[in-house]
Amino acid sequence: MTATAGAAQSAQPERPGRKDGVCGEFTVFTRIKPGHADALREDLARIADTSDNEGNRAALRQIGTLHDARHVIFDNDTRFMFASVFDGSWDTYIDDFGKTAVGANFERVFSHSEGFPGVSDPGAKDWFVAHQEPAGVFVSAYPDLTVQQIWKDQHVNEAFQEVLDTPEFRAALENPANAELLATPAFQKLLEEAAV
Amino acid sequence: MNTADSSSAAAVGVEIDDVQSGALRPRPVPYQGKFVFLHVDDRHAGRALLQRLLPLTSGGLPSVDSNQGAWVAVAFTYQGLRALGVPQESLESFPRAFREGMAARAKLIGDVGESGPAHWEAPFGTGDVHIALSALSSDAAQLDQELERARVAFQDTPGVQVIWQQEVHQLPTGRTTFGFRDGISHPNIEGVGLPGSNPQETPIKAGEFILGYPDETGNLPPMPSPEVLGRNGTYAAVRKVHTNVAAWRRYLRANSSSAEEEALLAAKMVGRWPSGAPLTLTPERDDPELAADPHRVNDFLYRENDDRGFRCPAGAHIRRANPRDATIIGDARMHRLIRRGTTYGPPLPEGVLEDDGADRGLVGVFIGAHLERQFEFIKAEWVNDGNFIGYPGEKDPVAGHHGGTGSVTIPEKPVRRRLRNLPSFVVTRGGEYCFVPGLRALRWLAELEG
Repeated sequence: MTATAGAAQSAQPERPGRKDGVCGEFTVFTRIKPGHADALREDLARIADTSDNEGNRAALRQIGTLHDARHVIFDNDTRFMFASVFDGSWDTYIDDFGKTAVGANFERVFSHSEGFPGVSDPGAKDWFVAHQEPAGVFVSAYPDLTVQQIWKDQHVNEAFQEVLDTPEFRAALENPANAELLATPAFQKLLEEAAV
Repeated sequence: MNTADSSSAAAVGVEIDDVQSGALRPRPVPYQGKFVFLHVDDRHAGRALLQRLLPLTSGGLPSVDSNQGAWVAVAFTYQGLRALGVPQESLESFPRAFREGMAARAKLIGDVGESGPAHWEAPFGTGDVHIALSALSSDAAQLDQELERARVAFQDTPGVQVIWQQEVHQLPTGRTTFGFRDGISHPNIEGVGLPGSNPQETPIKAGEFILGYPDETGNLPPMPSPEVLGRNGTYAAVRKVHTNVAAWRRYLRANSSSAEEEALLAAKMVGRWPSGAPLTLTPERDDPELAADPHRVNDFLYRENDDRGFRCPAGAHIRRANPRDATIIGDARMHRLIRRGTTYGPPLPEGVLEDDGADRGLVGVFIGAHLERQFEFIKAEWVNDGNFIGYPGEKDPVAGHHGGTGSVTIPEKPVRRRLRNLPSFVVTRGGEYCFVPGLRALRWLAELEG
């Protein structure tokens, strides 16, 4: 990663993990503390139960760089996997996450793993890197799109579809005063999308 | 063994004479018929009935004139096979969807709300349906003759009861209750000597429709054991579907401003004109002459001239049910079905927009060797969703359960049309998954011991 003055990520060292376009994968494997599997399972169930809730959604919105994430208990309750896809590098905003509901979830979930120093510990990032296992293959169906762009595209499309539903838009297309605009290649591209 | 002279049949060795005629055969035109459900109280009685029904069944290809004769098909639900005393090991070898039955799969296939099993017509979904018998013919006298023979067989077999019957018939218009000709499309199945309706369709492997032969994956379809039971059998999803014709007509009327617009809107939702002429071949107006030509009426693909759906919308009923070569998620050849729709009830007189309270609709039989990959997949992915064509959440405008919130996109230049607040035009009255054994298997069932 190139050091760019003023950019938050400039201070971060290169992190392992595969990239495809704008996003990268971040997968961590840990050992579950003996006797903690059930407590961990309960914590995960609580997060899963509330995943549709305002708080969690709001936190994901606040993070704004996380595409998806999963928490998995495996190997006969002895090991734990956290697998996720972030825009850029996972650790760019890790300190910022600490202040959201997701940070609290992280704190609780990883507290059941051996050796976890705590999300706000200065050594937290190094601990994650030490437990990270880069993927052999990582591919994205939309390598050019960040979470922010996807949300933006969604809003634009919703608005676009609403415009298409108005009779005024159809009338505007038929208005000779707009002929010049309609003839531009950019508008023709728009009409390609408007027709289907 | 296979005695068909067709060289393609010889190549894959389909024992077509052991496959029940009623399984693969396209519906005759015109047609009338009857569905009968039986309950087996006693397995010995059930087997005795099968012995009596055997002479009514036939195998092999339809005669040169497929409208000749009447044909009877016999099929069994999972509960039916149990009631006949099929050994547990064999019962467990059937695929899960069949063992669970259609009612248990209702949510998956979109039979929810008013179409849910809680509202189904008895005995659908109760587990009481054991044997399903269907008889279809072009000729009323021949049908009556076959039905009389079947009736005698039931009557002579105490311990077996007729618990449901449904007469079906072609309406005088030759069309469905919605007013569209159906029964046009039939898959081109490799090696059975039965021509498909689309000359451009590459033959589908026999194993997609008959157990015991390689399917499109290159493997043999999962087959119940013992082999004598599974071989040359197939599965049928049988459904009774009520059609709300008045609601359909009212919706069309409310969303168009002329009779021409109304006809075009209906055609855009179906994918064909009332005559059966496909929009992809005649996008502007109906063409009864084209529709009457069996060589042309189904001779089309989508990708080359209509991939974006400006003629036939990607979401139209016939294009969803059989996307041919259109750009979709997945491989359409993995999800082919034989569809046999038959109409029940009186037609709603032309021009009537208010419901007259009559029960009318269709009994649909959907046949294939893979219930889950074919019928269930099609219902879940193609009928009740639109993600596969880039319209996530949109359903089949005709066959989908919309509940007043449906939307339909009709591609159009310069701006697509999007219809909203679609009501449901169909209500599922019930359905059953059936196994349609080959003739040797029928005999094996009839001769079960113990």
